[in-house]
Amino acid sequence: MRKPDGKIVLLGDMNVGKTSLLQRYMERRFADTVSTVGGAFYLKQWRSYHISIWDTAGREQFHGLGSMYCRGAAAVILTYDVNHPQSLVELEERFLGLTETASTDCLFAIVGNKVDLSEEGASEGCETEGDSPGPAGGSAPSKGPKQVRLEEAVALYKKILKYKMLDEKDMPAAEQMCFETSAKTGHNVDLLFETLFDMVVPVILRQRAQGPPQTVDISRYKPPERTKSGCCA
Amino acid sequence: MMSTKAFTLVSAVERELLMGDKERVNIECVECCGKNLYVGTNDCSIYHFLLEEQSLPAGTATFTATKQLHRHLGLRKPVCELRAASALHRLLVLCDYSITLVHMLSLEPVPSGARIKGAVALALNENPVSGDPFCVEVCIISVKRRTIQVFMVYEDRVQIVREVSTPEQPLAVAVDGHFLCLALTTQYIILNYSTGAAQDLFPYCSEEKRPIVKRIGRQEFLLAGPGGLGMFATVAGISQRAPVHWSENVIGAAVCFPYVLALDDAFITVHSMLDQQQKQTLPFKEGHILQDFEGRVIVATSKGVYILVPLPLEKQIQDLLASHRVEEALVLAKGARRNIPKEKFQGMYRRILQQAGFIHFAQLQFLEAKELFRSGQLDVRELISLCPFLLPTSSSFTRSHPPLHEYADLNQLTQGDQEKAAKCKRFLMTYLEEVRSSEVVHSYKEDVDTALLKLYAEAGHASLLDLLVTENACLLADSAAWLEKHKRYFALGLLYHHNDQDAAAVQLWVNIVNGEIDDPTRADLYDYVVDFLTHSPDHALVWKHADWALQKSEEVGVQVFTRRPLEEQQDGFNPDDVLTRLKKYPNALVRYLEHLVMDRNLQREEYHTRLALLYLDAVLQRTPGASGSGAEVTETQAKLRRLLQKSDLYRVHFLMERVRDAGLPMERAILHGKLEEHEQALRTLALELGDFPAAEDYCAWRSVGREPAYRRRLFHTLLALYLGPGPSPPASASASASAELAVAAVDLLNRHAAEFDAAQVLQLLPGTWSVQLLCPFLTGAVRDSTHTRRTAQVALGLATSENLIYKHDQMKLKRSSFRLSDKQLCQVCHSPFCEPVFVRYPTGDLVHTHCAASRHTNPSAPRPGART
Repeated sequence: MRKPDGKIVLLGDMNVGKTSLLQRYMERRFADTVSTVGGAFYLKQWRSYHISIWDTAGREQFHGLGSMYCRGAAAVILTYDVNHPQSLVELEERFLGLTETASTDCLFAIVGNKVDLSEEGASEGCETEGDSPGPAGGSAPSKGPKQVRLEEAVALYKKILKYKMLDEKDMPAAEQMCFETSAKTGHNVDLLFETLFDMVVPVILRQRAQGPPQTVDISRYKPPERTKSGCCA
Repeated sequence: MMSTKAFTLVSAVERELLMGDKERVNIECVECCGKNLYVGTNDCSIYHFLLEEQSLPAGTATFTATKQLHRHLGLRKPVCELRAASALHRLLVLCDYSITLVHMLSLEPVPSGARIKGAVALALNENPVSGDPFCVEVCIISVKRRTIQVFMVYEDRVQIVREVSTPEQPLAVAVDGHFLCLALTTQYIILNYSTGAAQDLFPYCSEEKRPIVKRIGRQEFLLAGPGGLGMFATVAGISQRAPVHWSENVIGAAVCFPYVLALDDAFITVHSMLDQQQKQTLPFKEGHILQDFEGRVIVATSKGVYILVPLPLEKQIQDLLASHRVEEALVLAKGARRNIPKEKFQGMYRRILQQAGFIHFAQLQFLEAKELFRSGQLDVRELISLCPFLLPTSSSFTRSHPPLHEYADLNQLTQGDQEKAAKCKRFLMTYLEEVRSSEVVHSYKEDVDTALLKLYAEAGHASLLDLLVTENACLLADSAAWLEKHKRYFALGLLYHHNDQDAAAVQLWVNIVNGEIDDPTRADLYDYVVDFLTHSPDHALVWKHADWALQKSEEVGVQVFTRRPLEEQQDGFNPDDVLTRLKKYPNALVRYLEHLVMDRNLQREEYHTRLALLYLDAVLQRTPGASGSGAEVTETQAKLRRLLQKSDLYRVHFLMERVRDAGLPMERAILHGKLEEHEQALRTLALELGDFPAAEDYCAWRSVGREPAYRRRLFHTLLALYLGPGPSPPASASASASAELAVAAVDLLNRHAAEFDAAQVLQLLPGTWSVQLLCPFLTGAVRDSTHTRRTAQVALGLATSENLIYKHDQMKLKRSSFRLSDKQLCQVCHSPFCEPVFVRYPTGDLVHTHCAASRHTNPSAPRPGART
């Protein structure tokens, strides 16, 4: 098995569609998935690089594994369900902490999935919806207005950069890193992954450059200092 | 889930052999090293067995264990763990918190009494840090709280090398190099005992379940995680494999590549590390130990020891293929790469790919099949041979043995479903198209091309023709029979042609055109054949079928002669021979002569005359009455005229004979023109035909390339005809005719003023004509005359002035005088002048005339200057 050159991890609450997103991208299909146990990953060749994409379990039970999965990740995809505002809240409260172990220049993408379940064009028509995108209660029909606006994801993205003490100027713009997707229709799925792959490649290169040198650097060798004097001194 | 059979469970040590009828003796631990099997019991005993393995043909094996030794350690404590260090011939025995070293065979403690005290659990470092082969690195969980100790164990001594404290109490340990993988009370960690750096892996709850820490390979561990997960973690603290999903109450785990085995209270489960799928479940009750020793997996209850014998990978793969589980078979095969020698692996893997390809093929999953065939470098003949009769009879191919699939032929594969069979054939067609150009099929190109031809022919595919007209290796006999069977006669002709049997090809096509055999492939087959003959280098063939082609259509048929490349016409097709052949076909004859005269521009009188005559005959046939004037000028007539005008080679007099009384005045005029009988020609045109523009054109035509005087003469002749008292017009029409002629004369003069000598014209003109009438002519004539006069005056002036200049020069030279005496010497020969004749150069030098002349012929002589 080839060792992957870089890692991308999908995080998010259970049932937001992490496995479906990955399945849609890798296998070009949408099927009912069962709750992921533990985690799974795909290996994707992108240009000359092999990128592993980890699908994690959203269930609380497997929460402890997240840190290990994120260790050394070049990018983290934080996924929420546009129809469940709580899933966005969870990202900040539960999942952001797991990314501490990711690589220092890890990229973040915030993805609102399941846009197919909300009204068409809701993202454009936000203003008509009023300024209270809070829980609409159980009265919503099968296709109600979207519950989470893209602006909220953008706000979260900016907050993440602050938490990580990253300069907004050094990181990709929020608008570039917040996606609204549908694993069911395939909407924006390729865009999401391929945008990320393109961004991850330079990170991989940088990590390689910083990684343990492959050759021994003789010029930097410092002769050990003599702490004890020789017998004849 | 469909299961794989990866392991068989066989008994190794029966209960009777171990403890006989002692009910309370239980197995506590097991160690296996080569053929040595050690068992530690709760009654402080160690048993040593020798294991003998007998392989069975089915790929499995049986074991017989013979007891070698039984030693009681003299305590009342159970033997907790046994570890063999074969390099030292020592067995490490953990009993009563103390690790003692005993001899592997005698089970006697080492005389030095070396031991490690205060150990709760131990782990051997299988990836040792020190390079010392006579030393084993052992890592223990100490009885001291939160302490791990690392020891070097030699033949008869032990040495502590490191003690590290852990953040929590460790419960289980595994070691690889400097890295300890520890199960603490609440979490798993990786601890580098050399640097002290710790890396958290993930939390778990030790109160709920027993931790498992198992080294599975270089720098990688297997851990029991939450929710019954088997988690993989590297020493870097990351996971490179997805977890396997066990039951919640797993108590032991072992690895036997590519499988992870887990033991719970009722089952042994087998998962693949390659795809994380559960592959096999073996019911096993009351098991409490599951361990692997150098690739041998041992499972034990408290009473008996069993061995899990892995089936050979190849057998497993074949079983998977047999149950059509292609993906799994491929994953397993790929995973097996590092366990099988490279050469053997490649052959095996290719075969598996091919088999997998056939499985997909049989399920009509052609995309997958193609990819597998391609990567497995399948000999396409395997595929071709599925379709009966596709391989040529001469092919040396035999199917691979053992067979790659279970199908005798396509019919069996599709169970007689014609639609499916057609799909398979279509796939085969596209696949052959793709591979036929590749290097791989080079050695059996004939088989592939012939098969492809047969498929095309059978399906009535248009690519059949493309195949045959491009480079191909179709075998003639086989293909011909097949094409005939499917009535693809046109294609058969192409095949003959490709095999240099043009005669057969053309004969076949001729038969199709004649309707003797039926093949509607080409509606324009006749044209095709003509074109084919036109470009055929086989002259005999062309001659042979020329009559046929001409009989079908003279105009098209004659192309076999006229459209040939020129160089070939010259050596194979003598025009005279062709003309002889074409005698029966007048239209073709005309075409051919046209080709000779016009296209090839052959300058032979015979051809020109003959062509002109043929045209003439055609014209005469069409205008039987002599009355045919220029009213209806047929195409042929136009051609005739063009020929008569353009060509200078035909026999004019001979033609004149034919034309004279044939009522073809225009043609006659042209012939007169050719004979320089201009007056007659113009008379014919102007007076007989009254076609004045034609008369004018005639003047222009005949005077092309002649001097102006000749041209002028022609125009004057015409004018004279117009003005002269024509004897021809009958008296009745005289008035109107002469008026018409007068108008023509005026027009002629006015239009071509420059062509006439005005003075001469004026004398001819009747005095009654008004000046207005001739105004353009006169203006032109006057202008012309004035212009001529002025030009002459200018020329005269210039000549006069030139003359003056010369005169001036002459005067200048004459003005000075000099003396010539006999004392003066010639500048060339330096002798005196004896005669009065001399030459003087502009510089004043005087020389003899003969010296001046010789100086001109002899350039080496001194050069006094330019001679005047």
